[in-house]
This record gives sequence, structure tokens and C-alpha cells, in this order.
Amino acid sequence: MTERPRVAFFDFTGCEGDQLQVVNLEERLFDLVEVVEVVSFREAMSEHSDDYEIAFIEGSVVTAHDEERLAGIRENADVVVALGSCAAFGGINAIRNDQDFETVTERVYGDDADMIEANPEARPIESVVEVDATIPGCPIDREEFVQVVTGLIRGVEPTLPNHPVCVECKLEENECAFHRDEICLGPVTRGGCGADCVGEGTHCWGCRGMVDTPSEDAYTAVLEEHGLDAEEIVEQYQLYWGWQRPERATQEEAQ
Amino acid sequence: MTVRAVADSSVGRVDGMKTLAKSEFETLIDGLIDDDPRSVVGPQRRSGQYVFEELDSAADLALEYDLTALSPKKYLLPQYEQLLTYERTDGEYEMHAGTDTEGVIIVGVHPYDLAAIEHLDKVHIDTMGDEPYRKRREDSLLIGLTMQSVAPESFAASMGAATTDSGYDLLVTDIGDRFVVDIGSFEGNELLADLDTHSASHSEVQEVRRIEDDLRGRFERELQFPPEELPTLLAEHYDDMEFWESYAEQCLSCGSCNMVCPTCYCFQVETVRDLGGDSGYQQRSWDGCLLEEFASVAQGENFREEVAQRHRHRFMRKGLYVYERYGDVSCVGCGRCTRHCVADVADPTDVYNDLWEATNA
Repeated sequence: MTERPRVAFFDFTGCEGDQLQVVNLEERLFDLVEVVEVVSFREAMSEHSDDYEIAFIEGSVVTAHDEERLAGIRENADVVVALGSCAAFGGINAIRNDQDFETVTERVYGDDADMIEANPEARPIESVVEVDATIPGCPIDREEFVQVVTGLIRGVEPTLPNHPVCVECKLEENECAFHRDEICLGPVTRGGCGADCVGEGTHCWGCRGMVDTPSEDAYTAVLEEHGLDAEEIVEQYQLYWGWQRPERATQEEAQ
Repeated sequence: MTVRAVADSSVGRVDGMKTLAKSEFETLIDGLIDDDPRSVVGPQRRSGQYVFEELDSAADLALEYDLTALSPKKYLLPQYEQLLTYERTDGEYEMHAGTDTEGVIIVGVHPYDLAAIEHLDKVHIDTMGDEPYRKRREDSLLIGLTMQSVAPESFAASMGAATTDSGYDLLVTDIGDRFVVDIGSFEGNELLADLDTHSASHSEVQEVRRIEDDLRGRFERELQFPPEELPTLLAEHYDDMEFWESYAEQCLSCGSCNMVCPTCYCFQVETVRDLGGDSGYQQRSWDGCLLEEFASVAQGENFREEVAQRHRHRFMRKGLYVYERYGDVSCVGCGRCTRHCVADVADPTDVYNDLWEATNA
């Protein structure tokens, strides 16, 4: 990597909230552009170049055109980073993955539904290209983004925390959402967020994806214990993990 | 810190007891809040639970608490602690010890948490020479409190930690309309110097004893055998994987039991770099043996890959490994792990009693 690597941001299917988090770094953006040269960032500037070393990619892959475009970016970039949950593991877009595609398009586009050409499943970018680093979150944590950039520039092997949100809740002394009679996905969700949602009085929705080896059976038993039926449990799992969870199951079976 | 000097000092238990009005105790705490450079912390009610937090006023103390979320360990061994900072100037790296080692005045510590701190002292001061811990500990004051409420999850009496006669600078017992204070150290004695106190009468001392005796009978959970049996019992059942797996099947492996434990002290160290690359810091933070990464090392090897191995390790550690190394069973029976386990498989009395029954049935 060069002394001041050239970086580019790209958006696929998503809300662009992760790039917004980067813009929201505000004065720290000045520190950032000291160490990298931003050559493409539609949400923040009008210039564009295809000459870059690091590509940050937000959003999931939902069309054949997405796949082509993504492959092109992969060819240009030395390092590809999945930015946010949609790019990292499909995210919220994958809610529709287990629903009938025609019904989904009709519900969203009404009479114009037949103009929509898309894949039946929303997928993370790793299902199309090789990914070098991942920054999950909905939206991403700005500090984690800065740490990943720092690591990439300094040649540090990127890692992701692999403890569940519970750890951070305990360290912060948040009252457990289950003690408040709420359902919380914290016990099987990847931490690193500081357990902000629980700290603010609500619960974890699983936005950072599942930990590497979630104790899913044990966790399902906990949800049953709290009165959820099978359908409600799947609903909990489906909000963010519509691609990730079935994919995990397939991989486990293959082993 | 004068804690362990106390045991053989001339400040005996009965001789050291003073009685004071509750308002006098509040005067003491408010005085410390106003005048002592150290933080004064104590149990307070916060959104559905009790936590040790910095005090604004003695009136905020929730002395009726049963169990706090975290133990006061967090003041001696903080959740996150900057160990060093580094900076590069003209190509040369310079490192500085980065940790804040100021002591704390901790008010309202229950006997089981005092016992946990005595154990941590043994590990960090006597054995490992952990400087940040030692400095904080020596600069801190512990004002103990005889339990007024017993948590339904607690079994401290079984572990001999429902009451204590060591590990504190002062130990306060509420005998109704006034407090009886046992003096545990020279510094503790100094605290009382300007207050209106009198030597506890025989009947007041008797009342403290009665409260303590009564307290030991108020626990809903208990170990069915003396804790001294634990090391042998656990050693016998190390290979009983069927037993450990039966628990592990329900375990979320979330590490909550580790995080809330007053005697767990494992940590990890990470380097946080500044963007420019010329500076940064190293920080240690609490780690837990139930977490998947805990025993993983370079090249991807993980010595305890299975949840059952990690689940077993936790119980072995508390009742056998630490005993072998330090001569203590490192569970004080506070019940925090039981309270915070979402899957309800962390209760040491469940696990240990099951093992006992399996052996002695």
C-alpha cells in the first residue's frame, strides 16, 4: 500500500447510512484525509476516479448489474472492505429472502412490479467477490471505522470482535433487557458496539450479525422460555440474519 | 491499605467496635465527599438494579441493597484500563505508563465482596505484583456493610462469606436506630476521630452477633457440603463429559457469568493506534473463559473450542485450579452469575450439588 492510499466509496442496495456515518466524523474527517486520499465518494463529493487501492462498499447485492459492477470494483481495488451490515452479511434487505419474490415486488412497486429485475435474494458482497475486511453495524460505529482504516494503512490484520453484546452490557452495567421482560438478541449478536441500544433502554436487534459460533439451540430455548412461538422466533432471527443464518446452517451441514 | 495487617493487629474485634447515630455516619460520608481528593462511591439504585457509583451525597446510598450488578472490583481492576501510551518522535518510540491509579473510598461493601477483594489482593499483590492494582488498592478505603437484604441467588453463607471479620477499614452494622461500626484498620479508626461515637456496649455487640447469626440462616440457596470438598470433587469429575455437556447444551457461551464475577480477573490487551500511526495506547479489558476466543492462540488453535470444555473450565477454575495455586476456593457465593445468566445454567450450587449427589448418592 502506498504512503497515502487512494480510497473510494461505493453504494449498492442500502440506505447509505454507513457512508453518512463516515461524513458524520466531522472534524475527524480532516485527520482521515491526511492519511488517505479520497478519490470517489458520491455522498460527499462530485469528483470520481477509478484509480484506487481501498474500496469501501456499502449495501447488499440484489441485481445482476450489481454483481458486474462489484466484480469491476474488485478488479480495481487492492483491498475491499464491506461497510455496514447489508454489505457484510445481507442485513435488513435479506428480510425478503424467505418470501415469495413476486409478492414482495408487488407489495413494494404495485403495478410497476414487472419493471423490476432483481435476484430473488439479497446477498452480502462476499457472495460475489473476495472481501478483505468487514465493518458490520446498522449503522457502522464511527470509531470502529477509524480503527479499521488505521489498521489497513499500518498493515495490521483486520479482526472483528467475536464476543456477544452481553459482554459489553455487563461491563456497562446495563440492566438486562430480559430482566425488563423484553426479547434481546444480544446473547448471540456480535459485540463491539458498546451495547448502546440496551444502554439507551431498548434491546439488541442483531444489527452486527451473529457471533462466529452462536449457541442457537440454547438461545431458541431461552426465547421459548420467554413465551415466543416458533414463528415469532424466526421473525426475531429474520430482521438482520435472513441471509446469514441459513448460510451458516448450510455451511455447518457441509462440515 | 492495612487490611491484612489487621488480622494480627491489636485492634481486636470487640475492642474496636463503636456506636454512632445514623446521622453521624452520613456526616462522615458527606465530609469525605466534600473534602477527600478520592472519589467516594457506594451502592445506588439505577434503572431496575443496584450499582456501585460515585456518590453526590450520603443520602443517595442504597444500604438496603441485596446485590449490585458488578462488584466493587471494578474500582481496583477497571473494565477498561490504559496500560501505556506510546509516541514516536524522530523515529524513536517513547512509552509511558498510562494508567490512572488513584484510590477510591468504597462505601457499603458486603462481606462476600470483601472476601473477593481479599482473594484478588492475594493474586495481584502477593503473587503477580500487578502495580496498577496494588497502587489503587493501597490508596483505597473499604467501608464494609453487614448485609440487610439477601439476594435470592446468593449462597454466601455456604462459602463462609456472609459475614467477615477482616478485609475492611470499617464495617458498619445497622442495629435499628443506630450503627455499630467495627474498626478494621488504623485509617478506619482515623475516620471516626471527629465524630460523635461511643464504645459499643455489651448488648450492642451482642446485637451485631445476633444479626450476623440470623443472616447466615436467611439464604435460599446453599451448597450441600463444605466448600473444602470442592477441589477433590471437581478433580474426580474432570472427565465426566456427559455431565458437563448436559449443562453446556443450554449455555449461551455469552461470558456474562465471567463478567459479573467478583473474583474473575482474566484480561486481554489490545493496541489502539492513532490514525497518524505515530502514537497510540495499549489497553487491557476484562476477558472471560466462556467466550469462544478466550483460549484461541496464533495459527488458529483453540484449546477449548467446545462450549462444554469452557463451561467445565469455569467451574474447575473456581473450585479446583485457583485452590491449587492460591489455597482459596475462588467463589464467594454472591449469586451474580446466577442472576445474570439468561439461560439459567450458571448457578454454582446447581452444578456443585449435582456433582456431589452423583458421587454420594
